[in-house]
Amino acid sequence: MIKRFLYSQKVAPYVFVLPFILVFLVFWVYPLGSSLSMSFQKVTLGQDAQWIGLDNYTKLMGDKTFFKAVANSAVYMVLTLLILIPFPMLFAVLINNKFMWGREFFKSSFFFPALTSVVVAGTIFRLMFGEMEGSMINSILGIFGIEPMKFLKGQVTGYIALVALATWRWTGVNMLYFLSGLKNIPDDYYEAASIDGASAWQKFTRITMPLLKPTTIYVLTISIYAGLAMFIESMMLWNGNNSPKNIGLTIVGYLYRQGIEKNNLGYAAAVGIVLLAITMIINLSQLAFSGMFKKED
Amino acid sequence: MKRKWLVMMLVLTMTTLLFGCGSKSSSSSKGESSVLDAGAGENATELSYWTFVELHGQHFEKMLEKWNAANPDRQIKLNVTVMPYDDMHNKLSIAVQTGVGAPDIADIELGKFPDFLKGTPQLVPLNDVIDPYRDTIVKSRIDLYSKDGQNYGIPTHVGASVAFYNTEILKEAGVDYKSIVTWEDFKQAGIKVHEKTGKYMGTADTSATWQVSQLLAQQGTDLTDDNGNPIVNSEAMVKALKLLKDLQDNDVIATIAGGQPDTEEAYGEFNSGNYATAFMPLWQMSRYTNYMADLSGKIAIAPIPVMEKGMPRSVGGGGTGTVVTKTAKDVQLAKDFLAFAKLSLDANKEIWNTLGFDPVNMDVWDMKDVTHNPENKFVKYFINNPFDVLNEIKNEIKLIKSTPASPTINNVLCTVTLNEIFEDGKDIKKALDDAQAQIEQELK
Amino acid sequence: MKKELMAKIVLFLFFAVVCLLILIPFYAVTIASFKPGGDLIRYGLNLRFDLSVMSFDNFAYLFTGDHAYFTWFFNSLFLTVVQVVLTLLVSATVAYGFSAYEFKGKNILFICVLLIMMVPFEILLLPLYTLIFNIGLMNSYSAIILPGVASAATIFFFRQYLSGIPKEIISAGRVDGASEYGIYIRLILPVMKPSFAAMAILNGMNSWNNFLWPFMVLSDDKKYTLPIGLKTLLTPYGNNYDLLIVGSFFSIIPIFILFVAFQKYFIDGMTAGAVKG
Repeated sequence: MIKRFLYSQKVAPYVFVLPFILVFLVFWVYPLGSSLSMSFQKVTLGQDAQWIGLDNYTKLMGDKTFFKAVANSAVYMVLTLLILIPFPMLFAVLINNKFMWGREFFKSSFFFPALTSVVVAGTIFRLMFGEMEGSMINSILGIFGIEPMKFLKGQVTGYIALVALATWRWTGVNMLYFLSGLKNIPDDYYEAASIDGASAWQKFTRITMPLLKPTTIYVLTISIYAGLAMFIESMMLWNGNNSPKNIGLTIVGYLYRQGIEKNNLGYAAAVGIVLLAITMIINLSQLAFSGMFKKED
Repeated sequence: MKRKWLVMMLVLTMTTLLFGCGSKSSSSSKGESSVLDAGAGENATELSYWTFVELHGQHFEKMLEKWNAANPDRQIKLNVTVMPYDDMHNKLSIAVQTGVGAPDIADIELGKFPDFLKGTPQLVPLNDVIDPYRDTIVKSRIDLYSKDGQNYGIPTHVGASVAFYNTEILKEAGVDYKSIVTWEDFKQAGIKVHEKTGKYMGTADTSATWQVSQLLAQQGTDLTDDNGNPIVNSEAMVKALKLLKDLQDNDVIATIAGGQPDTEEAYGEFNSGNYATAFMPLWQMSRYTNYMADLSGKIAIAPIPVMEKGMPRSVGGGGTGTVVTKTAKDVQLAKDFLAFAKLSLDANKEIWNTLGFDPVNMDVWDMKDVTHNPENKFVKYFINNPFDVLNEIKNEIKLIKSTPASPTINNVLCTVTLNEIFEDGKDIKKALDDAQAQIEQELK
Repeated sequence: MKKELMAKIVLFLFFAVVCLLILIPFYAVTIASFKPGGDLIRYGLNLRFDLSVMSFDNFAYLFTGDHAYFTWFFNSLFLTVVQVVLTLLVSATVAYGFSAYEFKGKNILFICVLLIMMVPFEILLLPLYTLIFNIGLMNSYSAIILPGVASAATIFFFRQYLSGIPKEIISAGRVDGASEYGIYIRLILPVMKPSFAAMAILNGMNSWNNFLWPFMVLSDDKKYTLPIGLKTLLTPYGNNYDLLIVGSFFSIIPIFILFVAFQKYFIDGMTAGAVKG
């Protein structure tokens, strides 16, 4: 009887998606809910929580360090979008070119950095951007007669290191995304365009770019997410969560600082909820703007 | 085909590794826990111990041997875990608050200690095991780790601040460190050093408050007022930073990679002879012997310069309170062992012998056979004997209070304010006012 | 013709330069792994190839020294394999449910999948931490594996892949009298093989390099994974750079070999999934 029930075509799909429902409820809905409720409480591990209404949020609105963190994350996100979408797209188009030698080799080499863990990559970059005269970047600058710089102590130079790290790790991955997108564009489009006498640039803007739109939206979505939620990169680059003048402090870093380092779980939860709101607003409006919802059936 | 071959290779490498390296036992090692047997028998109780300084484990190893020999019926195996500073304190904080996963014994650094005393401390009061030794040790070092009359941590050292001079550089510039008494002397010497050698006399610390504490102690003030409220924009503080800033402007001191002398980058800079002086608590000695081998035989220890003659010349800096957690397997055993390992006379001698710290039992400071043992690696490394200096300044060692506000004060000063002042040249008064506001906001 | 050759050369040179830039950090680490750790602290990471200070000492220490590196290494390996196998099986099953059937609530559930992909996992750290603590999974690998077992991205990829598989297979299976589950296991899973390889790489990579969550959950250093272990070496009070750099170098190798072995699957799999959405 039970077997008959479980094996019916009506019930089977629920059995199939059951693991997702469970994981979703236990590890997403419940924590999200408790995060939301925690954000209205004063929570200290090991002690009873107190309801304090909107206090965490009002405190957050007057917290300069928090705004610093938000600004840092936002700038990082924008910079990674500006670099990690156009360049990988361009590389993908070029590498897909029929004149390309050694395509497979380059594809793999571009991808290698993504294989390293953030811990390893971050440490390598921290040492490369070290402020000593002999560390890699400074010794290269020295060849051009530029004085050694304290990269990780300045806002701009610190971000150069941070964005360099992101660019290094993700260029290859995004390029592969675009390459797969390119494969779906039928060759006849280009042939037809060639017959009409279109230039390479016209082909790129009129055919490639529009047809890559789904891929672009996908890459954009995950990049927004990854940019706003960045933390470990900064933690490894500054060897801790306390960068000079908080130049590397991100929203998640602040959540970690308040929640884990300072045991202000309620306040940290409020930071998390604000991050969630920012991510959702940006991503949903981005998707709405690009008409993704209309296509979704 | 090629792929299969590669996978085979991968599997092969892994199995070789597994058999080659899997079965290694370890006695003392890096970045992992190691179980110290120290002659313990079958029935020994295994206690776990977390620390952020590898060397502390070595001290416990020595004391453990003595303990196990002396207490055959209460033997201990110690499971030592070394973790990076931040990570260890974060994990420990969570573990003691939730009551899960905490070790039996742990080191907590002074700067983080107030966080562990918030609310109801989840640590065991140690008064009863401290009492037998109370008269022999410096009281203020115990007070640092106490709340409402309960002592929760056992100190390791006094941490008297001294100056470490690289005499090779000073000689090159024709400077005698012994003639440096005031900051003005230091400044003139530093100007000479920079002119003659192009090197810096000292560091402008951006990621630690050692120097700030030293200069406040000279003026008889503190980072907090009598009620424990932050006063980082006080007159004394402005004066202290103006003094340092003036030294920086005259190329006497400069910022250093890592932000302060006790970082790995700075060890490298000092070892390469780029900076002549470090004003640090005495335990910096062990950093010299461990990480700056090239400077052996070149470093002299002296009292720190003062603003005006007669001001106190030292302040206790840093410190580690070793605690027993409420969830410890055998609380009494852990407490007894801890007192034995850190407070007994033997322990205090070993703290000097192994760690190179100035022990909290000041009687040891006068035991010539201990302090002037020619075989001691610290005695060998330094030009003069540190205890000659320590005994000279013995009655001048001041204290910067540890209050619930201290972790926040330190965090703001070390990440923001000092960087603004020394790296960006921000106006000192303005930077300190901002810091005060920020600290008050965070403490709300 | 000449113009084509020129184009080829210019393109090649351009990519060669970019490629060189990308490979420089690898070169730097490789060089550094042969130098004493003290040098690294003193002079920074640099490109100087100086045989007089280079030796195999670090490698000798890695393989024979007294440290926990290989404990971490095999923990990572074990965790990665278990995590990949479980995640793929569970996610594929869920994806099949979404792709093969029409059922009540399907759209809402699938929107949940998409939403998860947009919710930063990091904001759940604290509540998840207390949850794991309350159900007694602290310091266990289950705590790391379970939350990710139905991976939204993987489900999404598989569903896209499955939508390219003709529905006739399913109806043919039903005609032959196979059960709903039999159809999935015997007919669909084999067809999904190529996408499995791709997702195995992607998930394997994530798992091998995963840091923050395992770092928070694990407190027993005998259970540490490689990234956590390497992170513990980053302390000024240990002089651990000898092991850190050579260990970092060595940690890249397994995943590197896997990538070289499976890269075609990887790229194919991405074509199947990422684009049609």
